[in-house]
Amino acid sequence: MSDVTHETDVLVIGGGIAGTFAAIKARESGAKRVLQVCKGNVGKSGCSAFAAGFFNVPLPTDDLDAMFKDMVRDGGYLRMQDRVQDHLEQAHLVMQDMMSYGVDFVRKDSGELERVPGWTRDLGLMFNGPNLMEAMRKASLEKGVEQVNRAMVTDFLTHDGRVVGAAGFDVMNGEFHIFKAGVTILASGMCRYKSLPPGQRDTTGDGTVAALRAGATVCDTESDFSLNNAFVAHWDIGPGMNMYVGQGGRLLNGRGERFMEKYDPVRKDRAIAGMRCLAMGLEVRQGKGPIYMDMTHLDPEQVGRIKKALPLASLMHQRAGFLVGDRFVKPIEWMITAPHAQVGLAVDRRFQSSLPGLFACGESAAAQAMTKSLGCAATSGVTAGVAAARYAQEAGEPQIDRAQVAELRERLYQPLQRKDGIEPDQVVLAVQEVVAPYTVLLIRHGERMKKAIAEVEDILKNQAPLLQAYDHHYLRMAIEASSMAKIAELQLKSALFRTESRVALREDYPYTDNVNWLKWINMKQEGENLKISTEDVPMGRYRFRPERPEHLHPLWQAAENIGAIKIEKGAVSWA
Amino acid sequence: MGVRRIDWELCDGCEICVDYCPMDVLRMDRETNKVYIKYLRDCQGCFLCERECPQDAIYCFPVRERRIPLAW
Repeated sequence: MSDVTHETDVLVIGGGIAGTFAAIKARESGAKRVLQVCKGNVGKSGCSAFAAGFFNVPLPTDDLDAMFKDMVRDGGYLRMQDRVQDHLEQAHLVMQDMMSYGVDFVRKDSGELERVPGWTRDLGLMFNGPNLMEAMRKASLEKGVEQVNRAMVTDFLTHDGRVVGAAGFDVMNGEFHIFKAGVTILASGMCRYKSLPPGQRDTTGDGTVAALRAGATVCDTESDFSLNNAFVAHWDIGPGMNMYVGQGGRLLNGRGERFMEKYDPVRKDRAIAGMRCLAMGLEVRQGKGPIYMDMTHLDPEQVGRIKKALPLASLMHQRAGFLVGDRFVKPIEWMITAPHAQVGLAVDRRFQSSLPGLFACGESAAAQAMTKSLGCAATSGVTAGVAAARYAQEAGEPQIDRAQVAELRERLYQPLQRKDGIEPDQVVLAVQEVVAPYTVLLIRHGERMKKAIAEVEDILKNQAPLLQAYDHHYLRMAIEASSMAKIAELQLKSALFRTESRVALREDYPYTDNVNWLKWINMKQEGENLKISTEDVPMGRYRFRPERPEHLHPLWQAAENIGAIKIEKGAVSWA
Repeated sequence: MGVRRIDWELCDGCEICVDYCPMDVLRMDRETNKVYIKYLRDCQGCFLCERECPQDAIYCFPVRERRIPLAW
């Protein structure tokens, strides 16, 4: 089989909103050649293509200071506040760009943009499901971006410590692709462990794992502000949380009680995703499961908005018999997903990673850089695209190390030669069994996480190296399975390291510790070992700081108030 | 089950669904010029193929093809 070699000034890996914006903005910033590569199809795969009809964008007329404060507090004061500010300033410009590309946000009869509630108190714009990314994809082509689809990047190319491109293969015909690039932007997203919501099972963290192998530093892989999401338990329906709770959907426990007000009295069902999932977990832990989403009281106008923004999920609800005409006819059992593992790269305000020549944006960058959700991913892509184009202009001609390419090529295809190896499905299931239980990464305990780490290390040592592939489709599946196992290791080790309750709950460390833990956890691969270190959040130059040095986590406090737990010897004891 | 049926009476082999499928589940049969389901187990049930098919030849159903371990 022949190799395919591409040469470009800016290489963008990933076909979602962050990558597509990065590619467009790199072109607009003067990069002559911009190439966007996607293991699926630009604009038609990954999470952005299934974004749930809701675009959370602040407008200049909004109370930006209040939003700033909310975003920092919701992120447990771990966010890069200079980046929060950039996002708030840029978001409406990005929205105008999108409209100029042909993205149709829903308007009122008067022609004015219709803003609707979602999570939190912020208002968002609605759009018709997949149409948003279709417009973005076309805009990228019109700007002169070259798109290479169905090519999965598996490794970065380096020379004298600088990233000079990437290598991968065509998932259909197996051809080996070499991308020689002045600068590379990683935007292939986080890992969702092939969990519940349809449309998100192709995000497996492959880019992060490749970057880690190339020597990049990943940051705080455990403290994403929405560590899980929740969707329909036993059917393949979703996503759409913003629209459901925004239009008035209510979460009920197994006794038919609305429970969110106990845990977040202000936002109730519209709490941020992480809070809502923790509350669901606490109810189940108290024996009050299962959990239902009740939308039976929504009127036809509210259901109409859901249908408009979520055409695919609405069709799924109809097929399953939950949505008949303009009414949801019964409460639907819901379940939290496996954790979202935003094992993003440590980046600066311009989204430059720790490796020269490599930028990361969207969910490939650390959650602390405000990169999650469509709007944040979009602004991160814009900033990264502009900065990377400048880098490419200043950096010299990239040099490819032929020996490195040959070595990567050989390693990549090994699963195809293996006989009697291990099926990708076996590894996928093994990893899911470890990370999916809510008592591992949502409601945490050191002992349970240590057990999970031992299981993942066993998968990495004894299963992943033996993965086999029958053809190039299975080769993709094998690499995805292997990525998932590595991501689980990063996430669990990072979570064990954080000895406090901040974004998730720890039974053995129920307090939020602002004295010792206003820190980011960085991880780097050194040979066989993961090196873990911390970096102080630069609170001294940030606007918002936590008020109390140490306090019981508000959700543990709520659980104590209702008699579900007691704090004994500094740890949680269940009633 | 995700993608459940491709009606070969209606399929005209345009390959739009093959192009759209994020999981590479669908393939074109060059002999019959029809699309078939090659990797059903990897179907993520996203319904994109059904939505995009200009001939309305594809039908999806929102039941999982594979077991997914749940949170509780």
